[in-house]
Parts: sequence; C-alpha cells; structure tokens
Amino acid sequence: MELFIFNSAEEYLGIDANYVYRVVEEIKITPVPMAPPYYLGLIYYRGELFEVVDIVGLLGSGKAKLKGNPRIILLKWSDKKLAVIPDRISGLLWIEDKKGQDTIFTEGNHSVRLITPEHIWKRLLELPYGPTKISEDF
Amino acid sequence: MGRTSIKNKLILSFLALLLIVMVVISVINWVAPDFLLSQAISTALALAAGIVFGGIFSKSLVNRLNSLSDAAREVSHGDLSREIPLLSRDEVRDLEEIFAKMVDDLRSMISEMKNVSIQIQQTNRSLLDFVKKIVKRGEEIDQLTKSIAKGSEEQTLIVQKTAISLDNGLNQMDEMVKQSSETVSKANEARLQAEIGENKASQTVKHLEEVLKQMSEHTQPMFRLANKVEKIKKVINIMDDIAQKTDLLSLNASIEATRAGEMGKGFALVADEIRSMAENSKRSSQDIKTMVEDILEDNKTATIALTKTQEGINRGRETIRSILNTFSDTLTDVKDISSAIKEVEEVTGKQVIQMRTLSGHFQELSQLADKNFISTQKTTVATKNQIDDIVRIAKAMRSLTALSEKMMLTQQRFKLSAARQPASEAALD
Repeated sequence: MELFIFNSAEEYLGIDANYVYRVVEEIKITPVPMAPPYYLGLIYYRGELFEVVDIVGLLGSGKAKLKGNPRIILLKWSDKKLAVIPDRISGLLWIEDKKGQDTIFTEGNHSVRLITPEHIWKRLLELPYGPTKISEDF
Repeated sequence: MGRTSIKNKLILSFLALLLIVMVVISVINWVAPDFLLSQAISTALALAAGIVFGGIFSKSLVNRLNSLSDAAREVSHGDLSREIPLLSRDEVRDLEEIFAKMVDDLRSMISEMKNVSIQIQQTNRSLLDFVKKIVKRGEEIDQLTKSIAKGSEEQTLIVQKTAISLDNGLNQMDEMVKQSSETVSKANEARLQAEIGENKASQTVKHLEEVLKQMSEHTQPMFRLANKVEKIKKVINIMDDIAQKTDLLSLNASIEATRAGEMGKGFALVADEIRSMAENSKRSSQDIKTMVEDILEDNKTATIALTKTQEGINRGRETIRSILNTFSDTLTDVKDISSAIKEVEEVTGKQVIQMRTLSGHFQELSQLADKNFISTQKTTVATKNQIDDIVRIAKAMRSLTALSEKMMLTQQRFKLSAARQPASEAALD
C-alpha cells in the first residue's frame, strides 16, 4: 500500500495515500466560533469545504506547531472531507502489508504511526462543543 | 661883673699897701727928726703893714678854701644837697663854680644813674620773664626737635624700607619684563605652531575629503553589489518558490498516480523524479540562498563597517574642522595675548622707568631725611646750647640786677635835694 508520510509535532504519521485528495498551500483558514478544541476552522478549495483539524492534538500526542504558510493535506473519502496541517511532508512510501490504525513501524531512522481518516473523523465527532481559543498563528 | 685874678688883686693890694706905707713913711720922715728913726719906724710900719695885709689876705683865701673843702668833704660823704656859695671873683671863684658845677653834674649823673638803674632793674625783670619764656619755648622747641628727630629717624627707616621694597619691586618688575619677553617669544612660537597646526589640519581635512570621496566611490560598488545580491536573492526566492511549487505539484502528481493504481505507476516514477529534482533544486536554492545571505551579511557587515568608517571619517573631519576652528580661535587668541603681553611689557617698562625715577626720588628723600635727621640733631644741640646761653644770659642779668641793686644802694648813699629826687625812684620806692 502507498502511505503518505508527514511530520507533525516531532512525530511521523502515515496515512493511506488513497485518502489524500490534494496537498495545497496558501489557503486561508476561516475560524468557526463555538467549535471544539483542535478544530481549527474551514477552508474552501475548488467548490468544496474542508474541516481543518489539529491532528497531533486530536490524537493526543501533543500540539501542532502551526506557523507561517504551511502546506495543508486535504483528505477526501466517501462524502467526508478533512484537512490536516503537518509540520513537514516527507512524501509517499510503499509498504507491503495493509496495517490498521495506530500501527507503528520503522522507516529508516524514524518510527511512523499509521492513522486513518475515519479514526480522525470519529475523534473529531467525540469532541465536546464549546468556546475554544483560536490559535493566534491563524 | 668883671673877674679879678688873685695875682692882680695881690699886686693891686700890694701897690695900695706900698702907697700907704710910702705916705706913712713920708709923713714919718717929715715928722721924725731922725733919719734913722724914721727909717726904723718906716720899716717897722712897713713890716707890720705887710704882716697884717698878708694875714688878712691869706685868711680870706684860706676861709674860702676851707669852705670849699667842707663842701667837698660833705660831697665825699654823699651829701650833694649842699649849695656851693660863690663869694669871690677870682680864681677861687672858678674853683667854686667848677666844684658847684661838678656837684651839680654829679647830682644829675647820680640821678640819671638812679633812673638808669631803675630802668635796668625793670628791663631786667622784663628780660628775665622773657628769658623764662624763651627757656620754656626753647625746651618746647627742644622737645619738638627731638620729636622731629625721632620722626626723621623713623622717616629715614621707612624711606629706606620703601626704597628696599621699591628695589625688590623693581627687580620683580625686571623679572616680569623678562618673563613678558619670554612669554611674547613663546606666544610667537605658539602662534607659529598654531599656524602650522592650522595648515596641517587644513591638509588633513583635504586628505579626509579625498578619502571620503574615494570611500564614497569605493563604497558604491558595494552598495551596487548589495542591490545585485538582493536581486539574486529575489531570483533565488523565485527559484525556491518554483521548487516549492514543483515539489507540491510532483507530490500531488504522485498522489494522483497512486490513486490511478497500476496505470499511474510510470507517472508516479516521473513525479518522484520531478519531486526529487525539485527537492534538489530547493536544496541548491537553499544553499545559494544561504551563500547569498552570507554574502549579503558580509556585504552588510562591510557596508556597515564602511558606513561606520565613513561616519568616523566624517566625525574626524568635523573634529578636525572643529580643531581647525579651535586653531583659528587659538591663533586669534594667541595674537591677542601676544599683543596684550606686548602692551603689558611696554606698560611694565614705563612703570619700571617711573619706579626707577621714584626710587631715585626715594634715595634723595632718604638723603634729605638723613640730612634732616642730622639737622634736627644739630638743632637739638643748638637749642640746648641756646638754652644754656639763655640760662647764662639770665645769670648775667641776675648779676646785672644785683649790680644795679648794689648801684642803687650805693646811690642811696648820695643825698640829693628834694627837687632832684627822680620820679622813677619814688615809683620804685
């Protein structure tokens, strides 16, 4: 399977490349009031809205270091659309076995954790609604 | 009434007596019969007549002489009141008159002498008072002369001290004049040095202007280099941007190829290569960017250093201009000081001459004070001698008074007539 590897908060994360719709940059994130934590806002790309989440904070392994004009990974599957913001994109990696959520394997000198969009979506839905502080970086 | 001398009187008397004798003898001869008798009687009568005549004549003369002798004796005893009788008309009458005149003159003289003695006594008394006053004033003069002598001595000392002070002042002023001359020469040297310094500062300013001009010319390429490097940086940024876009494009191409499955494998390889090239290009551009930034940094450092150097040179130029102004001011001040010192030197020279004249006057004054002191000493001695003389005069006057008193006592021995008693004697009594 083809994995899309990116780095976020000093952690290498991998996601199935079939879920990756596009990698974009220089797109304005519009904050959403009363949104839960780690929900950073919405972006509009080619007639579609993508919900931007802080993937590292959401998965409980830290907090994303958002700065400057980061690249945004757009995920799209069935009728769901998510956008995550990595610190750095490593690229595509082919692995033989199909692995599930939170599977950790070693690639070179790094440990890569596999994540799925469904899991991210599920965690997002579990978040309580309420006032949250929008990151000043946006 | 005519005078008759004793001789004539005696001759006339003798002739008369002879006539009488001859008459008597003639008578006798006529009467007497005897010649011898008549001769004897005539001789006896002649002798008797001669004796009687001689006795009467001598008695008359002796009586008058005795009277005169008595008068002389009384006069010798101081009685001048007796009047001398003038009885005869012969030589004794002359003697009596002379004697009377002598007594009268003696009386007048004694009277005059009394008056003179009284006047002498009065004058002596006045003179004694006057002498006492003179002695008193002489003592006062002596005291004053001593004070003047003391003052003259002090004046001499003060004048000598002043002369010494003036000499010291003159020496100091000479030294001052000498120092003024040295100061003038030093001020002239300072003026020359200031002029040299001003010229050198002007030359330095010119050199600095040239250095600044050259630096400005040399700095221009640096600034142009910086501009060019900035342009390179912009190009590199564009290249980096292109590399980023290419990377992103290749990444998205790889994603699309992955989604295409087996059909997209070749495209994925191409996309990977493109991405690899983009990353290489990105790294290269990053390296170039780093180098350009290093160059820019070095250029910036060099430019800052040059700017600082330029600023430093500008400040140096301003400082040197300030120094130049200072030199100019110093030159002006030194000229002013030099002229002022020259004026001071001239004035001091005049003062030295005046002080020398003053010192000469002081020397003369000192000599005069010395002479004055000596004169006052002599005056003191003379005053003392004068007082001694006056004391001697007073003694002499006292002696004179004593003598006049003694003379008065002697005069009192003479008895004068009441009419001849002098008024001053009465007053004196």
